[in-house]
Amino acid sequence: MTNRRVGIIGAGAVGATAAYTLAMKGVCKEIILFDIADGVAQGKAIDIAQATQYAPQPTILTSAKTPADVKDCDIVVITAGVPRKGDMTREDLLMINAKIIKSVTQDVMKYSPNAIIVSVSNPLDVMTYAIQKITAWESNRIIGLAGALDGSRMAYQIYKQLGYGAGQIGTLVIGDHGQNMVPLPQKVQVGDVPSTDLLDDEAFAGIIERTKNGGAEIVKYLGTSGYYGPASAIAHMVEAILNDTQTVVSCSVLLNGEYGVNNVTVGVPVVLGKNGVEKIIQMTLDPKTQKKFQDSVDSIQESIEILNNNGFFD
Amino acid sequence: MAKGKKVTVIGTGNFGSTVAFILAMNGTCHNVLLRGRNYDVTKGKALDMSQAANAARQHTIVKAAKGPEDMVGSDVVVITAGAPRTPGMSRDDLLVMNADIVKMYAKEIKEYAPEAVVVVVSNPLDVMTYVALKYTGFPRERVLGMAGVLDAARMAHFIYEKLEYGAGQIRATVMGGHGDTMVPLPKFTTVAGVPIEDLLDSEEIGEIVQKTRNGGAQIVNLLGNGSAYYAPAKSTTVMVDAILKDTNQIHSCAIMLQNDYGYSDIVSGVPVMIGAGGAEEVIMMTLKNLQVKKFEKSVAAVQEMVDTLYKLNFFEDLN
Repeated sequence: MTNRRVGIIGAGAVGATAAYTLAMKGVCKEIILFDIADGVAQGKAIDIAQATQYAPQPTILTSAKTPADVKDCDIVVITAGVPRKGDMTREDLLMINAKIIKSVTQDVMKYSPNAIIVSVSNPLDVMTYAIQKITAWESNRIIGLAGALDGSRMAYQIYKQLGYGAGQIGTLVIGDHGQNMVPLPQKVQVGDVPSTDLLDDEAFAGIIERTKNGGAEIVKYLGTSGYYGPASAIAHMVEAILNDTQTVVSCSVLLNGEYGVNNVTVGVPVVLGKNGVEKIIQMTLDPKTQKKFQDSVDSIQESIEILNNNGFFD
Repeated sequence: MAKGKKVTVIGTGNFGSTVAFILAMNGTCHNVLLRGRNYDVTKGKALDMSQAANAARQHTIVKAAKGPEDMVGSDVVVITAGAPRTPGMSRDDLLVMNADIVKMYAKEIKEYAPEAVVVVVSNPLDVMTYVALKYTGFPRERVLGMAGVLDAARMAHFIYEKLEYGAGQIRATVMGGHGDTMVPLPKFTTVAGVPIEDLLDSEEIGEIVQKTRNGGAQIVNLLGNGSAYYAPAKSTTVMVDAILKDTNQIHSCAIMLQNDYGYSDIVSGVPVMIGAGGAEEVIMMTLKNLQVKKFEKSVAAVQEMVDTLYKLNFFEDLN
């Protein structure tokens, strides 16, 4: 981690805002933006570079003309991919993005062979799986953004319900980064106080529902996905890795027997540090939660099957 | 309303100075007033901190108080004044000595900063908070003792020492008095939402609870001459921040109980929601039987000291 160089593939709203957030926090020495669309990465990199004038720490912002310029990064954040359009089936979207991810991943293997990859493209868990299989790297180096974002959305919903405690609410969400995610608001604390002393079952049910729809709610208003929350979550993870903070964050990672799951990438709490995933935390789940978690795993497994059936890994 | 511009820190020892320094470095408020017994020393520290604020590109100005009237307009007053226990001094001697000091400042605050929220950090903490409340005559939400924030930080540190991860994201809970009878609540303690019982066994947790209770004494023993002030000062500024920024966040603080957790007219540490008005709400947690017993013991220890003050007619000038 001596370079503290972070590559961001995809300079759309999420990628660029992640770069901006990292630059404002002064976490990296250098950020390289790349986008397939000509000019986008260049323009945004210059804009952010100028904004760093008033940041607490200096950060060098550059843009890459070709994937080969995103080289020797300590971390590569992959945000590339297309959103789902009207007539596209879920399977169509999955195959389109998987192909994009495959090409991007092969570039990362070539030009930043020692990097840790933070995967942000959707559908998140299965794209993280694809990156894992394509690179065949140690699984601690492939990390999907999931719980960091869903957890912040859950904390927001808890705050909305209570009307206080903003910024001091726990963020535990496990499972897939999609409709079967498993928010665990009952487990977290608000400041010093267990949430169960502040909220009843009905309130928790509402919070869980709204957390699951957290992404869709924003799409409803914007007509496009949120990006401030995702960018902030990416910065949180990148900071943990670069600064070796050993911070607990729920991330989508390849499980090998943990939680009784094999060969599936799914969100669980992990410790993030300089090696990426330093440790997978094994929580005790009650039978009901375990069942929900298993449903979540099954839904990811189904998507992985689609990749397999389409000969994606041949 | 434009609130949150002036904080007075009474006492310029390590504790008070560090509180003022953190406030200046963070630019939490525009004015910090330092109130010490020796004006020149206080002025010297104030200048040093004001210059540091410029180096940090912060707007905070630190000034030295010439007299109590300089406290006028304070949004928050932090009382750190008090004598340390010296050899040969009994516990009761120290109690009365510090109670006298806090009484004096409380009366001044009542006169010159009648709208302020008071944060008490002088020891023995819960009793001094009680004294400050009685002599300011303020409503209870405006007189808070700094205890649980520090004790929880210490507990979180000892949990980190065992885990070696999760620093800064361990949410520990400590209730009760700020002393030997404090009530650490490991059952309510999580690391990013993961209960510590999933991460540590009961023996390890027991060890952590014990270390938390001895947290202050451990540092006193190591330093040889003085007690901790970095974590205490930071914990104090957490409370000051919460008041000035009206955060409505929950922190455990010492506060006068009024039919809370089954007690009245005694100060102890419980979670409260802090905002611009001080402790805007006392949060009730569901305690298990054993925790209720420990809390009872903790409250009794504070009550005993308050009773001592009453027996010595300490409160007889209270009108």
